[in-house]
Formats: sequence, C-alpha cells, structure tokens
Amino acid sequence: MDIRNLNASQKYAAAKPATVPLSRSQADDSPLPEIAKDFAGTLREGEQIAMQAMTGDADPHALVQALAQTELAVEAAVTVRNKVVEAYQEILRMPV
Amino acid sequence: MSDFSSAFSVSTSGLRAHAARLRHVSENIANTDTPGYRRKSVAFEANSQSEHGGVQLGQVRLDQKDLKRVFDPSHPMADDTGHFSGSNVDLVIEIADAREAQRSYEANLKMFDQTRQMSTALMDLLRR
Repeated sequence: MDIRNLNASQKYAAAKPATVPLSRSQADDSPLPEIAKDFAGTLREGEQIAMQAMTGDADPHALVQALAQTELAVEAAVTVRNKVVEAYQEILRMPV
Repeated sequence: MSDFSSAFSVSTSGLRAHAARLRHVSENIANTDTPGYRRKSVAFEANSQSEHGGVQLGQVRLDQKDLKRVFDPSHPMADDTGHFSGSNVDLVIEIADAREAQRSYEANLKMFDQTRQMSTALMDLLRR
C-alpha cells in the first residue's frame, strides 16, 4: 500500500467525529427550535384572526395588524432560509 | 416581541380609538334632531395594562351643556310655553371633531405604513 493512501485514510478517520450528530443535551441550547415555534405561533394567530374577520367577529384593524405581523415573520423566515440554502450550496460547490 | 411588532400594535390601538371616536361623532350627528339628546364625547387614555402601551378609550361622557329650547307648540313634547328641549349637538363642533378624528387616523395609518416600510427595508438588506 502506498504510504500516501494510508496517510489519507488516517486523516479521514480523524475527521470522522466532526460528522457525528450532536446528542440531545448539546442541541438543547440552540435557539432555533424556539424561533421556529415563535414563527408558527405568529402564523397561527394571523390565520385565526383572518378567519374571525371573515366570519365577522374581529375588527378590520386587528386583521390588518395580524397580517402585517405575519408578513414580517414570513419574510424574515424566508430570507433566513434562503441564506442557509445559499450557504449549503456554496459548501457543495467547494472542490474536494 | 420586537419593536416593529410593538409599533404595529400601538398604531393599531390608535386606529381603533379614532374609529371609535368617529363612531361617537356620527352618533351625535344622527341624533341632532332627537329631543333631549345630550352630545356624547369620549376621552382617550394611555393604555397601562398592555405591555406595549398604546391608547384606549375612557368612559363615554354626556355633554352637560343646556339643551336647546325649541319653540314649537304643535310638538307632542311641548310644555306650557310651547317650548321643548332639543339636543345640545352643535353640527359645526361635530364636523370639526370628525375631521380631527380623520386626520389622527391618517397619522396612525402613516405610522403603520412607516413601520412596515422600515421592516421591509431591513429584510431587503439581508436579501442582497
């Protein structure tokens, strides 16, 4: 076996721990699930008020406010997602 | 909650308050010819319960100004002197009040729009 091949396989083995998924306790500090929950809550609230406005229960001001807030949240989420996807594609394009 | 969301809800409370004020003005105008009707007015208060502040409506008050005495002996409510009590609504005041409510409503609407434009501009910055 070539010495270079051996070297490469050793390096691969050393790099392997980086691909191991985080355990639950390590992933707990991540704020992402909280943000996602917040986002879903905003969406749900907007939908609820929109439904109430269509059945005549909520006033139009509440509807406009809820829709503007939902728009803000969706826009932020979509922008962040686009950035994440862009970064991922950037990594995929990286020459190995 | 972010400042943008708070600004949205404060502007909305202003819109709601001025819509209610306009409603009271239209009630007054509708009852201009109602005998014994007293003009309704409503005071605004700073909302202390909400976490964002904003405005809320206070109690509705009746104008204690003297009712207008109208001379009409044929009216069913006329007294011995042939007078009856009309309403104390002054149309000029009501029109001015309505116009003020409209302007304040527009101001709140403008703030709402401004907040929206600011948040959109912020997101545009991230999109580039």
